[in-house]
Amino acid sequence: MDISQEENKIKTKNISENEKMEENDKEENMEEFPAIKFEGVSKIYKNDFVALSDISLEIKKNEFVSLVGHSGAGKSTFLKLIYAEETPTQGTVYFDGRPLNKISRRKLSFHRRKIGTVFQDFKLLPQKTVFENVSYALEVCGAPRKEISEDVPQILDIVGLGGEMEKYSHELSGGEQQKVVLARALIHKPLLIIADEPTGNLDPQSSIEIVELLLKINRIGTTVILATHNREIVNKAAKRVIVLENGKIICDDAKGKYKVC
Amino acid sequence: MFLILGRTIKESFINFWRNGWLSVVAVSNLTLSLYVVGFVLTILIVTNGILKSFEDRMNISVYFQSDVAEEKIMEIKKEIESQEKVALVEYISKDKALEEFKKNNANEPAIMNSLNIIGENPLLASLVIKADSSIQYEKISDYIGKASFRESVVRTNYSKNKEIISKLNGIIFKVKKSGLALATIFGFISAINIFNTVRIAIYTRRQEIGVMRLVGASNMFIRLPIVFEGVFYGIVASVLGTMFLFFTAKFGSPFISSMIPGENLLDVFKNNLNIILGVQMVAGVFLGIFSSWIAIRKYLKV
Repeated sequence: MDISQEENKIKTKNISENEKMEENDKEENMEEFPAIKFEGVSKIYKNDFVALSDISLEIKKNEFVSLVGHSGAGKSTFLKLIYAEETPTQGTVYFDGRPLNKISRRKLSFHRRKIGTVFQDFKLLPQKTVFENVSYALEVCGAPRKEISEDVPQILDIVGLGGEMEKYSHELSGGEQQKVVLARALIHKPLLIIADEPTGNLDPQSSIEIVELLLKINRIGTTVILATHNREIVNKAAKRVIVLENGKIICDDAKGKYKVC
Repeated sequence: MFLILGRTIKESFINFWRNGWLSVVAVSNLTLSLYVVGFVLTILIVTNGILKSFEDRMNISVYFQSDVAEEKIMEIKKEIESQEKVALVEYISKDKALEEFKKNNANEPAIMNSLNIIGENPLLASLVIKADSSIQYEKISDYIGKASFRESVVRTNYSKNKEIISKLNGIIFKVKKSGLALATIFGFISAINIFNTVRIAIYTRRQEIGVMRLVGASNMFIRLPIVFEGVFYGIVASVLGTMFLFFTAKFGSPFISSMIPGENLLDVFKNNLNIILGVQMVAGVFLGIFSSWIAIRKYLKV
C-alpha cells in the first residue's frame, strides 16, 4: 500500500519537474524546435587543440543523421557537446530549443534522461545483469516497479535478447552487448539517440543488425545521430550525411552516401 | 522516498556481494584498523583499571593522642569529610587497631609476646582518609597540618608515604599521557587507512560511476548506494574487529593475570564490550560515510 502510493508520488513529482523545465520556454510551440541546433560552436581543448570550429547546423526531430569523418575530425566532441559532457568554448548548443549552457549541474541528469547513448566500448555496468543494466536507466528516473517489470523484457525482446536477461555483460558477444546498450538507450523513450561508433568493435553481420535496429528506432519516431567511419553502414542507412574534417563541416548531404568531399 | 531508499539499500547489498573481492579487501583492511583501535582502547581500559586499584590502595592515616575521646575524633572525622577533596574517612578505634595488628602478626611469636608483656593496648586510634584522586594527598596533608585539631594528632603517615605516593603519581601521569598519545597515533593511522581503502574501492569503480552519470542518474542516486556500502563496511568490520579482540582477550587474559594478580582481562573486556564495540562501530560507520562521500565527489563531476 504505502510503497505504491510513494511510487505514484515520485512519478507525479518527476512529471512536474519535467514540466517545470519545459515551462522555461513555453512561449513557443514545441514542435517547431529542431532537436539539435548548433550556433557558431567552437570547441578548443586546453592544449589549444581545435576540435570544432564555428559549427552551425540544425538537426530536425525524427531525422537520421550519419556523422562521418576521420579519427580526430571532431565527431566525438560534437556528440559530447550534445549530451553536455563538454561545454563549447564559443557559441551555443540548443537541445529541443533549450540552450544547454544554462543547464545547472543538478539538472544535467534530467537532460541526459532525454538522450540515449550508444558507444563503441558499450559502457555497460559489469556488476549488473542484462536486465539490471536496462532497468537501471529506468530506476534512475524514479520509475515505478510495475513499469520496470513490464517495459524491460519488452524492450529486450525488441532487440532480440529476451532470453539473456539474467546474464552478465561479459557472458555476451560484442554484438549482443551493443544490443543491450541500445535497449538501455531506448528504455526511457528518449528524444534523441546518440551512437558514437557503435559498430567499431563489431563484426560486419552484427554491425548491420545494429544499424537496422537504429533505423527501426528512427522510423518509430526518435531522432538518431550516428557517428561512424564505416562506409557500408552509411550507405546502408542512406540518410543525411554530415562530413566533418578538422573540426569543420565540409559536406552536408540530405540523401547521402559515404564520400570524401 | 521509500522507493529511493529501498533501491539504495538493495543496490548497496547487491554491490557489496557482487564486488566480492573488493569488499573482502576493504572489510579486512577496515577490520584490522578497527582491531588496532579496539586493542589500544582495551589496553587503556585495563591500565586505567590497574592505576585505579593502585590509587584505591593509597590513603593517609591520622593517629590521635591516646587521651583524645572517641566523640572528639568523630567530630574531627565529620570536619575532614566536609572537605571537597576527601572521598572517604574511616575510623579505626584502638581495639580495632589491636585486632588488626594481632591478625597481621599472628605468626610472629616475639611480637605477640611483647604485646602480652605490655599488658595494655599500645596502639592509637586513627582516621584513614581516602582522597578523590592521588594527587590530592599533599593538599589533605597540608590541611591536617593547619587544622584546629592538630594538637590532638600524634602523627600522620603521609611523610612516610610521601615518596611512594609522588612516585606513583608520576607513573600514573606518564602512563595516562603515553596511552593517550598511543591511542591518538593509532587512531590517526587507522582513520587514514580506512579513508584510503574506501577511496581505492571507489577508484576502481570510477568508470561505472561515469556510466551512471551518462545514463542520467542524479548524483544522489549514484552516491547513496556507495555511501551505504561504506556503512556496511563499517558495521561488518567493527563486528569482526570486536570478535578478534574477544579472542585476543581470551588468550591474553592468563598472561595478564599472571603478571598483575587480580586483573582479569577477559572480564574487563566483557564489562566494557559495549564501549569497545560502540567506539569501533561509530568510528567505522562514520569513517565509511565520510570517506566514501569525499572520494566519490571527484567522479561525479562528469
